[in-house]
Amino acid sequence: MLLAALAAFAVAGLLFIPYGTDPLSAYAFLFAEAFGSLRGFGFTLVQATPLILIAQGTVLAWRAGLGYVGFEGCFVLGAAAAAWLALGGTPDGFPYALPPALFFPAVLALSFAAGAVWAGMIGVLRVRFRGNEVLTSLMANYVAAFIVQYLVSGPMRQPGSLPQTPRLPRDTWLPYLIPEARTHAGILIALVASGLVAVLLRATPTGYEIIASGINARAARYGGIPVARRQMLAILLAGGLAALAGLGAVLGVQHRLMDGLAGGAGFVGIVVALLARLDPLAVVPAAILYGGLEVGGAAMQRDTGVPSAVVFILESLVVLFILGSGLLRGWRLPLPWSGRWRATSRKAAE
Amino acid sequence: MSAVPLAALRGIVKRFGPVLANDHVSLDVRPGEVHAILGENGAGKSTAMQILYGLYRPDAGEIHWNGAPVAIADPADAIALGIGMVHQEFLLVPPMTVTENVVLGLREGRGPMLDRSGAAARLAAIAARHGLAVDPSARIAYLPIGVQQRVEILKLLYRDARLLILDEPTAVLTPQEKDALFATLRSLRAEGRSVVLVTHKLHEIMAIADRVTVMRGGRVIDTLDVAGTSERDLARRMVGREVVLRVARTPARPGAAALRVEALTARDAAGRATLRGIDLMLHAGEILGIAGVEGNGQSELAEALLGLLPVTGGRILLGREDITRRPVAARRARGMGFIPADRRGTGSITALSVAANAVLGEQRRHTRAGGMLLDRGAIVATAREIVAHFGVRTPNVALPAGKLSGGNLQKLVLGREVRRASRVLVVEQPTRGLDIGAVEAVWQALLAERDAGRAILMISAELDEIMNLADRIAVLFEGRLSTPLPADAVTREQLGLMMAGRDPAAHGRAA
Amino acid sequence: MLNQAFFVTWLAASVGLAGPVLLAAQGEIFAERAGVLNIGLEGTILLGALGSYLAAVATGSTPLGFVAGGVTGLAVGAVLALFYVGAQASQVVVGIVFNILAAGVASYVYDLAAGTSAPTIGLLRPVHLPVLSALPVLGPVLFRHPLPLYLTLLIVVLAQVVLFRTRFGLALIAVGEHPRAAHAAGISVARMRVIGVLLSGLGGGLAGAYLVTAQIGLYRDNIVSGEGFIALAIVIFGRWSPLRSLLAALVFGGADALQLSLQLFNDRVPAQVLLCLPYILTILAVSGLLGGRAQPAALMLPYRKE
Repeated sequence: MLLAALAAFAVAGLLFIPYGTDPLSAYAFLFAEAFGSLRGFGFTLVQATPLILIAQGTVLAWRAGLGYVGFEGCFVLGAAAAAWLALGGTPDGFPYALPPALFFPAVLALSFAAGAVWAGMIGVLRVRFRGNEVLTSLMANYVAAFIVQYLVSGPMRQPGSLPQTPRLPRDTWLPYLIPEARTHAGILIALVASGLVAVLLRATPTGYEIIASGINARAARYGGIPVARRQMLAILLAGGLAALAGLGAVLGVQHRLMDGLAGGAGFVGIVVALLARLDPLAVVPAAILYGGLEVGGAAMQRDTGVPSAVVFILESLVVLFILGSGLLRGWRLPLPWSGRWRATSRKAAE
Repeated sequence: MSAVPLAALRGIVKRFGPVLANDHVSLDVRPGEVHAILGENGAGKSTAMQILYGLYRPDAGEIHWNGAPVAIADPADAIALGIGMVHQEFLLVPPMTVTENVVLGLREGRGPMLDRSGAAARLAAIAARHGLAVDPSARIAYLPIGVQQRVEILKLLYRDARLLILDEPTAVLTPQEKDALFATLRSLRAEGRSVVLVTHKLHEIMAIADRVTVMRGGRVIDTLDVAGTSERDLARRMVGREVVLRVARTPARPGAAALRVEALTARDAAGRATLRGIDLMLHAGEILGIAGVEGNGQSELAEALLGLLPVTGGRILLGREDITRRPVAARRARGMGFIPADRRGTGSITALSVAANAVLGEQRRHTRAGGMLLDRGAIVATAREIVAHFGVRTPNVALPAGKLSGGNLQKLVLGREVRRASRVLVVEQPTRGLDIGAVEAVWQALLAERDAGRAILMISAELDEIMNLADRIAVLFEGRLSTPLPADAVTREQLGLMMAGRDPAAHGRAA
Repeated sequence: MLNQAFFVTWLAASVGLAGPVLLAAQGEIFAERAGVLNIGLEGTILLGALGSYLAAVATGSTPLGFVAGGVTGLAVGAVLALFYVGAQASQVVVGIVFNILAAGVASYVYDLAAGTSAPTIGLLRPVHLPVLSALPVLGPVLFRHPLPLYLTLLIVVLAQVVLFRTRFGLALIAVGEHPRAAHAAGISVARMRVIGVLLSGLGGGLAGAYLVTAQIGLYRDNIVSGEGFIALAIVIFGRWSPLRSLLAALVFGGADALQLSLQLFNDRVPAQVLLCLPYILTILAVSGLLGGRAQPAALMLPYRKE
């Protein structure tokens, strides 16, 4: 696995050469930017926050055997819900008096619920009607994007400006932890969520039941586990976590709602979860690594003109190479849809 | 032995991991003969035939066709030579028609186009010649199992196969269908084709085969002319011992009624009745054996009792409580256990550890902090207790359960289920695929549980197992259960007849 | 507003907008019928668009650019087949990761090759088919489009015939429904699946070329925004059949064209309502809530010989 990652870095390193930068110093620069200073690390944490939350969502859903990939949709709807509460529903806002002590719990709950309901609909289609959740969740991403597009170009639009909402009131912003890097408290939400997911999956009977349902639903049912209910729980939590990533983007970074807010984080988060082998504790360092790559890549583009796309290539190559090397050694993850095809008819004896 | 054999295996060796499935297997199939391959489960019969058909590659050895060595790396090679195979599990594409399934993979005619009507006409002609009535335009998904088998045979004949391999073809057939199949096989032989019949049923060999090759433990024991042998002789060669395994048992002391089933009915996904009104009464401290050929409702009965299969009518009473509509977890909590036939696909989660599997279904009884957290210590203790008490051979309880051998995995499943099943234990094909030592261990454990007062319902296709363990015996045939009889009041022959549906008294129908 | 002229304009626009995704869907139908869901189609279209644009700029010939898109797509299909079939990796994972990789590669290569100077290329002009284009209604709707559209329609018919009337099609469908049965019938499951993925690559590459050479005339990083996923939706909504996918593509293209025209006249019906409808219908279709479900039984499931 380490070899595969090194190979990915080596291959991606070649991409620096046409720009007159040697790979080693390019990587040195990249990592120095991302991790070499408090400010850089602060930027890295900002990038890592949504990746952690979405990756934890992936871990939950995929461990339950659901190939849910609709995190972009949960992200934008979670963002919309947070913006709606922060703005009081309209561009003008209504004179509500939600004290800060209540606002943050309320906005967390509302945003989480938005994502949970969104993912939950896909979950119902899967567990109740056996609708292929990979396909339905991909399609649902577009529906969610259109809903947000409608909100920011219609009812929540700031009059006379781009299709986006007005700036959110200052006291609805997430507090900064590292002000110079605008590192917001979203990272704390992500870390707490990671701890909870880890405890849930590793140490509780419910987690045992989720994992059993994901690996072998038939055996789980035989063991008396309510498989559909456990899968629903997992997908509700997964959607909620991805929605909190959207909350962080709105209340922590942009301070307004706009179209295209997720920007692919819903998919990169899945890649992070894969890199972490669906282990909730490994998700945190993996997300910080990928967040750092993005910060370093952006800095490199500013300074040397090497396109930051190299970072995307690197991020995906790492996982592809691990997949490639894994198969050589029979390394297997309990991924949804990775089981072999099996005839549904009578099985031959052992 | 003057004729050149049509097909011959020479010194075939095949390993699956640590298991030597074929150990220098050699055999000849002559032109125009029905050649039976006899052996118990796990003797290596199917493996040898799948190698001949190109589904597996041998680790060593040669295949000869008409006297010349050939390489068969894929079914396509076998088909090109003129070899065809009907597998235990039918290999038909359900949404396609009979004709489409028959011509699938064939290169006939010029150009790339399919000629459905021409193929259907040719198919109808072949079907008529061999008495294999089937509608060429019917979709497979809607055909009964016996007709699907006809389609499989037609597929081979359409390719003009010289050698037809049939793997346990009668397991899924009614007696009438079996007679029709044998008539077809005779007409094939009359045309000069060769048939290999893989089976473990002695009377079928006596009825249809010309020669028989006996396999045991992956090796060929002997090849004999059927005319010069007897069922008794073949049985001795197949099991390798005159006396089959026996366990010492004391008479049962049945107690109160533990499980009562009344007029239970169930249907499969296609709406066909699988259970047609099952009545039974199971007492504490006895083993009720349910004999019968698989596919007659065996798995459905077991799954209905545990709650994995919704029933369409009737009642299930555990003690005095009606559990017909209760979920699996509730039935387990009230003292039911179930050892499924498919121990790797249903009975365990092979990717999880031995310890995790030891508490499957009981994870909520191994908790602390008010049920919030798993109690790892308690889980490991339970696992170790089962491993020690039932002699599960494993280096530690953290090993993935899939790495256990079949026998050890079965002991783990058994240990877990008897530990919980304070009242009723439903056991399905408990020793399938296990070696003699493991069979004995499982049998002893079941008897010990009986003596400890548990009510055991044992579903088994193995007559030996039924005769050795059961206190009362009933036969399940086509979804109906015969009246249970005391074990010492029935003979093997009687059971055999009942399993074939030939006991008018038990089933209310003429054979 | 709802007169015939509007109707004809709307239908013609629908057909035009449906073209690229319909083309991509044809290849994808073959991949999915063989049991491979190519989520990487979005990335394939993107790379096809880039390949086509760069070739068109380099050779100065837009038709050559169109062909280059197909070649790029085939190469991409070969790489994807390596993972989907050769490595038997989880198709969801490979597809999603590949899309990210493709976005990175396209952006990088474009930056390297074109830099800041990005000339537009000459668009393939609409070709008015003789006689046919003079027909009332049908003429403007169907027969006044650029060549790639006619090619696409031809491919749809061809795909329908190949899939349902040839031995190859029967074998491909069998592989996606019951790979072991197909294997036992002497068909190579891997070969059929590789062919399916290659066709998906070819269709995706040509779809990207279609966008560049007949609709946009230049390349941007975000030139492909969901066409690959729409093509996946069309395959589902068209129930894995080329002819029905044509109707499905028209539903998507029609909704898109309608919202474009409605924006001009009316802002009471939000455009997004129209845009989402086809996706919602697709979700319901794949869940079996709009009649039966026709998904190949072995879709997304790897097959191993032993």
